[in-house]
Amino acid sequence: MNLYYFDHAASAPRRDEVTDAMAPWQRGVVGNPSGSHRAARDARRAVEEARDEVAAFVGAKPGGVIFTAGGTESCHLAIAGVTNRHRRTHERSEIVISRIEHHAVADAAEMMARDFESVSVRYVEVDADGVVDLDSLSDAVSSRSALVSVMAVNNETGVRQPLDGVNSLAKSLVPGGVATHTDAVAAAPWLSLPVITATTDLISICAHKLGGPVNSGALIVRNDVPFDAVTPGGGQERGLRGGTVDVAAAVGLAVALRLTERDRADVYDRVADYQHTLMAALSLLPGCAITAPAAARVPGTVHVTFEGLASDEVLFLLDQAGVCASAAASCSSGAAVPSHVLAAMGVEADRARGSLRLSMGAETTEADVEALIAILSSVVFRLRDEVTAAPGRKD
Amino acid sequence: MKVLVAMSGGVDSSVAAGLLLEAGHDVVGATLKLWGGASDSGCCSVADVDDARRVAQTLGIDHHVFNYTEEFERHVVAPFVAGHLAGTSPNPCIECNRHIKFELLFERATRLGFDAVATGHHAQVEVRDGHHLLVRGADGDKDQSYVLGYLREDQLAMLLLPIGHLNKHEVRAEAERLGLRTWDKPDSQDVCFIEASKGREVFLRQRATLTTASIVDVTTGEELGTTPAAELMTVGQRRGVVPGRDGERRYVSRVDVAARRVEVGRLEEILISTVALDADSLSFSHATLSDGSAVLVQSSAHGRAQRATLRHDGRWWLELAAPSRPIAAGQSVVLYRVDDPTVVEGAAIVSRT
Repeated sequence: MNLYYFDHAASAPRRDEVTDAMAPWQRGVVGNPSGSHRAARDARRAVEEARDEVAAFVGAKPGGVIFTAGGTESCHLAIAGVTNRHRRTHERSEIVISRIEHHAVADAAEMMARDFESVSVRYVEVDADGVVDLDSLSDAVSSRSALVSVMAVNNETGVRQPLDGVNSLAKSLVPGGVATHTDAVAAAPWLSLPVITATTDLISICAHKLGGPVNSGALIVRNDVPFDAVTPGGGQERGLRGGTVDVAAAVGLAVALRLTERDRADVYDRVADYQHTLMAALSLLPGCAITAPAAARVPGTVHVTFEGLASDEVLFLLDQAGVCASAAASCSSGAAVPSHVLAAMGVEADRARGSLRLSMGAETTEADVEALIAILSSVVFRLRDEVTAAPGRKD
Repeated sequence: MKVLVAMSGGVDSSVAAGLLLEAGHDVVGATLKLWGGASDSGCCSVADVDDARRVAQTLGIDHHVFNYTEEFERHVVAPFVAGHLAGTSPNPCIECNRHIKFELLFERATRLGFDAVATGHHAQVEVRDGHHLLVRGADGDKDQSYVLGYLREDQLAMLLLPIGHLNKHEVRAEAERLGLRTWDKPDSQDVCFIEASKGREVFLRQRATLTTASIVDVTTGEELGTTPAAELMTVGQRRGVVPGRDGERRYVSRVDVAARRVEVGRLEEILISTVALDADSLSFSHATLSDGSAVLVQSSAHGRAQRATLRHDGRWWLELAAPSRPIAAGQSVVLYRVDDPTVVEGAAIVSRT
C-alpha cells in the first residue's frame, strides 16, 4: 500500500544525512564528552561543533545552548527553572501562558502552581483565529510575573503568534521587564528563529520535527536570564542540565537544523502552494470548515473540522487508505480528545469532535497532495452518506 | 469477513480476536475509551488500552482507540447517578452494552465498512430455523447473556461471540497458546467507573448530596434506625439493615428518597409475586411474546432464573410462579425460553409497582 504521510507536525521523516551523521556516534567506543582522554575529546568536539550550529540557527551565543532530550524537557526546564529561581526571591510568582500552549508548557506551569503555594498560572486568551490577544496579555502581566511563555506557532492549527508584541509588552509593562520563553518547536521547520525570536529570552526547539532524532532538543538562553537546573546532577551544560550529553542526539539535531536552513526557502514556497491547493479543495467538501482561514500561518499545516463527523472515523478510513494524519489532540490512551486549543478559540464541541490536522514537510510531493484530496473526499462523502442514512440514530 | 473486535484489554476479547484471525477473517481491534476519571477495576484504563494494543501487535492486527467518553457520561454515568437519586438501581453494564457497544459501535462499524462486530462476551449466537438467537455461554459460571439481553435479531445477525463456546480455563489456555500477554490477567470486576477501593458511596457523593432517611418496619411502622444515604439502599438488600426489635433479619422492601424513608420487613413480608415492566424498555430478541407467554426470568448477572408468565393488559408485567425476593426498580430482567433455558427471548427494565 502507498503511504501518504501527512503527520509531519507529529514527527517528520528522518533524513538520511541525519542518520549518516549520527552513525559513528552510535557504535563502538563513544567517549563521554566530560572526560579528558582522546575518545572523550573527540566526543566533546562533536558536541561543541553541534552547539555552534544550534546557536547560529537560533541566533544566540553558543554558551546559551543547553542540549536536552527534546521539546518537552526544554519547555519544562524553562518554566520550572525560571519559576524556581523567581519564587525564592519573590512573595508571589505568576507564570503567564497562553490558552493554546502545548502540554509541555501548560502542564509544567500547572505542576509548579500545584506544588508551590506562592506560584500560580495566569492564562492569556486568544481570538477566534487562535491568535494570542495582546490586551489579555497586558492584563495578565504584572510585577508578580515570573515568566511569560507564548508559543511561536501553534502545533495544532499552524497559526503564528505575535511574539514581537508579546516580548515588547513583557519587557515594558513592568520595571526591569519579565523574562520570556517561546516554544518554537512548531515554528522551527518554517520560520527564521533569529528573526522571530530576536527579543525572546528562552527558546525551546526539538530535532524530530525537522527530520532529526526524537529525544533530542535544546533550550537556548539569551540575555543570561537566571534560572535553576531541574536535574543538576553532574554539572553538565554549565550546571543547568545534568546527565551525560548524548553526542549522537546533539549531532543529529545540528544536521537537521542545517538541512532545514539550507532548504527553507524552497520548501516554504513549494509547501505553501500545496497548502493553498489543499485548503481550496477541502473547503468544497460538505460540512468542512478550514480553521482560522485568514490567520497568518506556517505552510505545513492545514487544520479543518467536519460538522457532524467524528475524527475517529475519518482517521480510521484515511488510515485504511494509507493516509497518516491526526486529530492533533489525543490522550495517553491514544484516543482522540477534545482539543483545548479549539475550545480556547470558541469552536463548538460538535465541530471540534470532527477535527483533522494535515501536516506537510520537505518530503511532501504534489502527487501526495492529489492523492490525499481524492482519498479524503471519498471518505467524507462516504461518511456523510452513512451518517444521514443510519436508521434510528438517537444522539 | 471484515470484523471489528471490541478489545477491552482482558483475556476474553484478546482470545476472541486471535480465534477470528485464525479462522481467516480480516480482523481489526478497537478499544473503547469510555471513562476519563479514576478507575481501579481493571477495565478501560490506560493500562488496559496498552494491554489491548500489545495483544493486537502480538497478533499482527491493526488496533484503534475510539473515544466514547462523552457518550458514556451521557448514556451510562449520568443515568446511573440520576437513577440512584430517584431511589432506583440501574445496571450500568447493561446500559453501556445497549447504548455504546451495540448501538454507537455497531453504527460506526457499519460506516467503516465492517461486516461484523465481535466481542469477548461469554454468550453465543446460534442460527436456528433462519433466526439468530442469543444463547447462554458454555461456561455456566461466566455466562454473560444477561448483560446482552437487549440485543435484537438484526444486531445478533452482525455479532460474533468467538469465545462463547469455551469455558474460562479453555479461554486462558487459548490465550497462552496464542502467546497473548493477557492470558493470566484477572477477570475485571465491578463497575469500571467506580473505584473499588472507594465504592459507590464515594462516587455518588462527588456528584450529589445523599439523603439521610429513616428505616421503618413495614408492618409495625416502627422506626428502627436511620441510614446516611437512602440512595444506596437497594430493594431486596439485607446488608447494612438493622435487625428488628425481635432480632430477626430485615430486608429493604421500598426506598422513597423524597420522603426520606426506607421500608424494611422480614423476608416473608417483602416477597413479591408480580414484577412491573417499563414498556418503553421492553425488547424482544426475535419473536414478540404476548400475554400469557411462559418465560424464565433472570434479574441479575449471575442470578438464578425463575419461572413466570408474561402479562400484557395495557401494562406489561410478570406473574411469578413462586414468591420471590423483590427486584429493584431500574434493574433489568432478562427473559429466557422455558423449553430451552439457554435461549434469550428479551429483556426489560423493572419499573416501580
